[in-house]
Amino acid sequence: MSINNNTWELAEAYIAGSLPQEELNELNNRLAGDVEFTNEFNEAINLINSINGSGKQKRFRTMLRDVHEKQTLSNQPAKTKRIVLPAHFWRTAAVAAGVAILTSTITIWSINYTLKKSDSKYNTISRKVGAIEKVQAQQQAQQNKLIEIINTKNKPTPPPSDVKYTGTGFALTNDGYFVTAYHVISDGDSVYIQNHDGDYFKAFVVNFNADADVAILKVEKKNFRFGKNEVPYTFTGSKAGLGAGIFTLGYPKDEVVYSEGYISAKNGFQGNTLQYTLELPAGHGQSGSPVIDGNGNILGLLTAVGSQNEANTYAVSSKALLELLHTIPNAASLHLPKSNKLGRMSREQQIEKMEAYTFSVKVYKK
Amino acid sequence: MHSPTNSEQQQLAALAAGGRAATEQIYQQNYHIISSWLIKNGGGPVDAADIFQEAMVVLFGKAQDESFRLTCSIGTYLFAISKHLWYKKLQTQHKSPVFLQDRTGEEDNDLGIAYDDDINVHSEREAHYEQLNNALDQIGEPCRSLLKAYYHHDKNMQEIAADFGYTNPENAKNQKYKCLTRLRKLFYGVQAK
Repeated sequence: MSINNNTWELAEAYIAGSLPQEELNELNNRLAGDVEFTNEFNEAINLINSINGSGKQKRFRTMLRDVHEKQTLSNQPAKTKRIVLPAHFWRTAAVAAGVAILTSTITIWSINYTLKKSDSKYNTISRKVGAIEKVQAQQQAQQNKLIEIINTKNKPTPPPSDVKYTGTGFALTNDGYFVTAYHVISDGDSVYIQNHDGDYFKAFVVNFNADADVAILKVEKKNFRFGKNEVPYTFTGSKAGLGAGIFTLGYPKDEVVYSEGYISAKNGFQGNTLQYTLELPAGHGQSGSPVIDGNGNILGLLTAVGSQNEANTYAVSSKALLELLHTIPNAASLHLPKSNKLGRMSREQQIEKMEAYTFSVKVYKK
Repeated sequence: MHSPTNSEQQQLAALAAGGRAATEQIYQQNYHIISSWLIKNGGGPVDAADIFQEAMVVLFGKAQDESFRLTCSIGTYLFAISKHLWYKKLQTQHKSPVFLQDRTGEEDNDLGIAYDDDINVHSEREAHYEQLNNALDQIGEPCRSLLKAYYHHDKNMQEIAADFGYTNPENAKNQKYKCLTRLRKLFYGVQAK
């Protein structure tokens, strides 16, 4: 039976709560006795509630979009300005921003460092648990705690910033140019590297390609050298073949970690031709780690792992890195290593040679 | 994080009523932090805007129930819902990579079941509204425009009578009831006798 106008009117009034008591009683009586009417009436109520709710939500969504547009519009100019800033200003900006941080951060980090080293519990846990991420979570918690403890102890001078992200970087040239994944440094105020001796050096961003996820940085210190000799590995612009054996060194924790695997697909995530897909265990903190073949050629750098359902690791190919190199202002004065010193070495020797040129990247943000 | 204050409860009530000022305020207080989290976790600016707005709609839907009380602050709630929505989206895409960078910042373990429930209720409601809107699109003119004017654009019967050329609001109202009857037939698939 079709619902007549009276029923709709009744339902509307019922929802609005505007039915006089007398009519409400009458309605309730009818609802108690007349099953067919009750069904009809309930349907009418449901439909009105639904269409009302849907309309209300639609208006809310329209308003949200409007609010969003207005608010992002007002934020836009500042953002563009930041991106437009030419690369050579970065240095000045970074120095200015970093001066205040420098003194206190380094003291805090050295204290933090020794405290952690002296904590024997930390090492046993890391061996027992085994899972990198778990250890790391604990390590993070511990780090944060330590920093907090230091904070409360030295209340007059709280640190202006705190380590926000860590990744891995590796040298391009011995005089301080190095590379890491862009997303490691994209959100920080200042970047430091910590080499295998535990020393910190401040670095600035030379250039980056956000799409390819590569960034080139340079250590600020004058006459800086990563190691005694030239960088021992070379960079290859051509893509390596499927199944090529590879290894990597990275810093998922304070200590350098070695892992090996092979190239499982020539292209990367969603067919990205500037990437490789690897069969290689990798954990957080290893972004930016070099991907090296058996002969000591850098094939790329680690960028991401697949989500839970997929065990792939992705690396940006060195082609993207070399392309970015050509775009930096003083590309001509930047001499990439020409001779490969790793070719005939055993893996242990290769790793030992590489250690000075692979390091942890720490990103700070206030 | 802190528990909701009285003023947050008022903010919520204003939001439920579709108040622009409250919406802007909540947006301003929370959008930046949530969108930067999303961008850091593999989302683009468009994803960030979409997810945040969806979370706002979830909150809006919850707030429609007058007895609804937040057990945490609005910010915490929006953040948790946004995270869940984002993880769900990543799961449906199946293969989005997760960046290997190491987040040293605070990580709140708010992956509660309650948020999942809220999101499930929300998506059921969305599906229901979509069916209703499909029915509305099939209903034919003038009913489609008339019902939309009344329910979607919040016009009153006088305005509708004028816009649609009815001699008085009472006629427009009768037409609206006829349209509702047709909509019901389409929506519930009920055969008229």
